[in-house]
Amino acid sequence: MKLLEYKAQDLFSKFDIPVMHGAVIDSTENVGEVIASSGLNYPVVVKAQVQVGGRGKAGGIQFADNAEQAQEIVEKLLFSDLKGLKVNKLYTVEKASPKKEWYLSIMLDRLTKCPLIIFSAMGGVDIEQVAKTDPEKILKIPVNPVLGITDYVVRYIVTKSGIGAHKDLRKLLENLYKMFMEQSCMLAEINPLVLDESGELIALDGKVDIDDSALYRLPEIAEFAKTLPVDPLVKEASDFNFLYIPIEKQGNIAVMSNGSGMLMSCIDLIFQKGMKVGAALDLGGGATAERIKEAVRIVLSNKDIDMLFISIFGGITRCDEVAGGVKLALEAMSEAKTVIMRIEGTNKKEGLEVLKSIKGGKVAAASSIPEGVQALYERSAK
Amino acid sequence: MSIIVNKDTKLIVQGITGREGAFHTEQMIQYGTNVVAGVTPGKGGQTKLGVPVFDTVREAMDETGANTSVIFVPAKFTPAGVHEAIDAGVQTVITIAEHVPVHDMMTCYHLAKMKGVRLFGPNSFGIISPGQSMAGFMPHGIFSSGSVGILSRSATCYETVFMMSNAGLGQSTCIGVGGDMIPGSAFVDLLDDFEQDEDTKAIVLIGEIGGSEEELAAQFIKDNVTKPVVAGIAGKTAPKGTSMGHAGAIVSADGTGSAENKEKVLKAEGVYIAQSTVHIVEILKELNV
Repeated sequence: MKLLEYKAQDLFSKFDIPVMHGAVIDSTENVGEVIASSGLNYPVVVKAQVQVGGRGKAGGIQFADNAEQAQEIVEKLLFSDLKGLKVNKLYTVEKASPKKEWYLSIMLDRLTKCPLIIFSAMGGVDIEQVAKTDPEKILKIPVNPVLGITDYVVRYIVTKSGIGAHKDLRKLLENLYKMFMEQSCMLAEINPLVLDESGELIALDGKVDIDDSALYRLPEIAEFAKTLPVDPLVKEASDFNFLYIPIEKQGNIAVMSNGSGMLMSCIDLIFQKGMKVGAALDLGGGATAERIKEAVRIVLSNKDIDMLFISIFGGITRCDEVAGGVKLALEAMSEAKTVIMRIEGTNKKEGLEVLKSIKGGKVAAASSIPEGVQALYERSAK
Repeated sequence: MSIIVNKDTKLIVQGITGREGAFHTEQMIQYGTNVVAGVTPGKGGQTKLGVPVFDTVREAMDETGANTSVIFVPAKFTPAGVHEAIDAGVQTVITIAEHVPVHDMMTCYHLAKMKGVRLFGPNSFGIISPGQSMAGFMPHGIFSSGSVGILSRSATCYETVFMMSNAGLGQSTCIGVGGDMIPGSAFVDLLDDFEQDEDTKAIVLIGEIGGSEEELAAQFIKDNVTKPVVAGIAGKTAPKGTSMGHAGAIVSADGTGSAENKEKVLKAEGVYIAQSTVHIVEILKELNV
């Protein structure tokens, strides 16, 4: 769950990380008044709130010297398309006057299994370029999760980067770390971390990515998640606790399975045969017939999909439940779409019996994944 | 002898009275697993499927001398279950649930390391040593006893096992390391067990895109593994930057964690690379294990 900038800034403030004062704009009416009543002084920066990199270069960040200019920018940017995404909100802050721009982030590092601090004195938009050309200018320091931020971690950053001691650096690191841990962040990034003319540290822009699996205990973030525009099928699937993954726009085949490894293997085989997968749906483990019915209905409601390949190797998921769900879904549908089904594992025999009882004859059973993919291929050729 | 789970395994099922816990406990008992205790808070003193139920893992340990625990509780309660098992002195802890917060697993991982506990999962089907014992929810009917050790990041390995068994290629032990970002045990933590195990003649790694488990395994194999290793990597055609459901299976835009890279480094250390499940079986047949 990636937070939009204004939400990330809001979270930073809650954890006493200094940010620029800002205001969210979601209407083109009386922009000047909104800015004035938020206590912002010109010049201001108006930034499109979309989850995409390179937003500045694409024209999503603009400067206004007065209310008139701000009005003009908002009318142009708000509700426009930026790199294929609709801009539903703008965030405006006073223009900063940075003396120095640094990069600071904490990410969850799968190699060390620890929070990893990444710091560079060469911050700003081109941090990825720095990573390529001057990798030694980027410091990486794992934090022992038992100890948290220690003196020696701060000392290492100060001496190794050559930025010199700063009265607030330790506090900032501690606050960012606290936020990282308490909000179950995968990434908490401040870029740039600005040292302004009066010597204060400010988080000018930030990215926060929160573990979806932890949203159940982060009600505020979960509420925010609901406000983001999502593919309606992804949304519908997630309401039933399924993962719907759009793949290729022109794909006419959908793949459904109980587990992402199996999904990926099936997709690999289908692509190798020259066919196109439009969507995949991961049922997860232990789905009941009622839920499978919804899964089939959701996938087949995508108009571009005319064939569905279901591969189930039942462990925690039982084959008869899956077959029963497919039966319920297909018998409730007016349009007949092709379903190729491969079931193996727990309660397979019972599952095959259910499949045989489905009326209409659009369901075919396959005894292995390659055989199922072959069946898709033969039907595609027709 | 097989590894981790075998005929000496004395198993606790945490969450034995739940829907999934009960269903799969019955399967495990039918398979011949020595399930000695169940744990469900508030249900101590009852029995389930003939197994005594305790309120805490510590009581279950004291009464039964169990050495392994499998945790069949929802993701929300899984971290607490792992903490309890580790603190009660269980040597091997296997977690099943998917969607356990990664931060919680980070804590579990370090706790297990500190106590020298072998932790498996989450998002794992468990561990089975065919003909001896199973701790998890795999469809045990497809397994057969033999000499191939399997480590898998996903349940894709059911396919492989099914075809192997049909081809007369049995398994010594099959372990689901799980598909999450921080697995309790990774490939690299288990290769030496198979190398030392007399019953294992060849090792199959079923990997997938994302992370560096396969790359680390390649490094380890180079210096420590003499037995033949066959690897298959799922997700070659997965779109970049898209999470395919496993928290771990994400390829970053620069190609880190890609199937190509994993195959390249494994191949360089003499690992046989399989392009499909069928291919894994073909290679094993040629190896004549």
